[in-house]
Amino acid sequence: MLVVEDERKTASFIRKALQAEGFAVDVCHNGQDALSAASATPFDGIVLDIMLPGRDGLSVLRQWRERNNATPVLLLSARGEVNERVEGLNAGADDYLPKPFALAELVARVRALTRRGGETKSPVLRVADLTLDTLTRRAQRGETGIELTAREYRLLEFLMRSAGRLCGRMTILEKVWDYDFDPGTNLVDVYIRRLREKIDADFDPKLLHTVRGVGYVLKDQP
Amino acid sequence: MTIRTRMTLWYAGVLLVSILAITVLSLNEFHERHRTPRSERGMKEIVEIVLWIGIPAVLLSVGGGWWLMRKALAPLAVLTRAAECINERNLTEPLPRTGNGDELDRLTEVLNRVTGRLHDSFTRIREFTLHASHELKTPLTILCGETETALRDESLPPAQREHCASQLEELRRLTRIVDGLTLLAKADAGLIRLAMAPVRLDELVRDTFDDAQILALFSKIRVDLAACEGTVVSGDAHRLRQLLLNLVDNAVKYNQPRGSITMALRRVVGTAEFSIANTGPGIPRESLPRVFDRFFRGDSAHSSDVEGCGLGLSIAQWIASAHNGTIRIESAPSKLITVTVRLPLLQENRIA
Repeated sequence: MLVVEDERKTASFIRKALQAEGFAVDVCHNGQDALSAASATPFDGIVLDIMLPGRDGLSVLRQWRERNNATPVLLLSARGEVNERVEGLNAGADDYLPKPFALAELVARVRALTRRGGETKSPVLRVADLTLDTLTRRAQRGETGIELTAREYRLLEFLMRSAGRLCGRMTILEKVWDYDFDPGTNLVDVYIRRLREKIDADFDPKLLHTVRGVGYVLKDQP
Repeated sequence: MTIRTRMTLWYAGVLLVSILAITVLSLNEFHERHRTPRSERGMKEIVEIVLWIGIPAVLLSVGGGWWLMRKALAPLAVLTRAAECINERNLTEPLPRTGNGDELDRLTEVLNRVTGRLHDSFTRIREFTLHASHELKTPLTILCGETETALRDESLPPAQREHCASQLEELRRLTRIVDGLTLLAKADAGLIRLAMAPVRLDELVRDTFDDAQILALFSKIRVDLAACEGTVVSGDAHRLRQLLLNLVDNAVKYNQPRGSITMALRRVVGTAEFSIANTGPGIPRESLPRVFDRFFRGDSAHSSDVEGCGLGLSIAQWIASAHNGTIRIESAPSKLITVTVRLPLLQENRIA
């Protein structure tokens, strides 16, 4: 992984978090270094800040794409507006994250970017004895069928597809609600609570866990 | 020509006309008097002189004076009307000047300079907010990131973990406030482009209604959708969703346990009217005009432990006006609080 971020402290904790996930991480602090680093080494993914001294991230990104460098890029920006997001994606970015972001979101997105065909193709998702059939849209815990609303279904499907991984609130809002802004409500928390009542309340082991201040994770072990 | 000179000249004109009129009347009287025998003069004659010369003279002066004042003050009335229309958005449009260099013209010029300075100050405040909210983002990113990194450390003792998690929650709240401020500062500076497209408002309202039911579930608040008529407006679907969700969120937060919320979407003469009414502690009449102000929180909001960033309604108001719509709030003591949003319909009769 290549992390291009001029703010040294930010670069440092991004590096630590990605290293903790098992990524090998290189760090650059400006656009010029990033260009030469990326042409010298093939990376699996690049985390690129837009605001960089000298050459800004967008122009670095455009140059990469012109040179047919297809490495997945996650853009970081402190400005964080819908317009800019579109601009970034048009310039060839694969994903976009506005600052200040939750580290969990960043890690989850980098993981999603670099995932190479690892996704399960089976139409039935399974975590412990919880199953979700994506064709019939039926959820079951053991032998018991679980009634879900459309939104609850999407939420559960998303959590099960990311089973074992931490899902940040912003990512959930984006994937399940299509919101690209933080509505400032506890919508996600309330839906999670509701979902938990349905899939966890009467069963053991508990599968849906809260990581306080960060997000949620659906997994077998506590 | 100054107003003083002009008034003096006009006044001289009025006097001249009056003197002429009086002279004519006096001559007329003089002829009459020569034809009348001397014995019939006396009190009657004095009364007649007063009637035929004095009253017209007084009327003429009063009329002339009224005309004079009206003429002199007319530009002032024009200026007043123009000045009444000044608001924070049109400060750069100057008041119309007569260009004749009189006192009023100079006053207009001074007023234009004052509004110009006001405009500069407003711009500076906006830029300040924009830069401040932007500058806050880098340290916030670092704080959030480092707190989260600390939380990921498995060896962290539970007490410190609790401490870090609580800190992270507050940091998230601060982030929401900064995000809200940035959004509003950008909106003020006209930096936000809306992705306008035809939007089925009724579909958005139904989605929001679903969310509202879930949000209200744990406070045991009943949510009703009284009407949801098919409406298409021209708008930015994301922003409109945000507007609806902000209003729902408020209606849930500032409600009473076992209260209720009633949402409705209707077509009313060329506009889509969305209203959301909730039970709850009313808003004092004197606070009503201020609820859309940034960071304004009424006494009831301060005293309760409602968590909010204090910008929700300001953002809602911006979204409504960016769509050429209006937003209004009504509250009567011990009755419902109703927020009404009106947006222009795209095509009145497209959907049955």
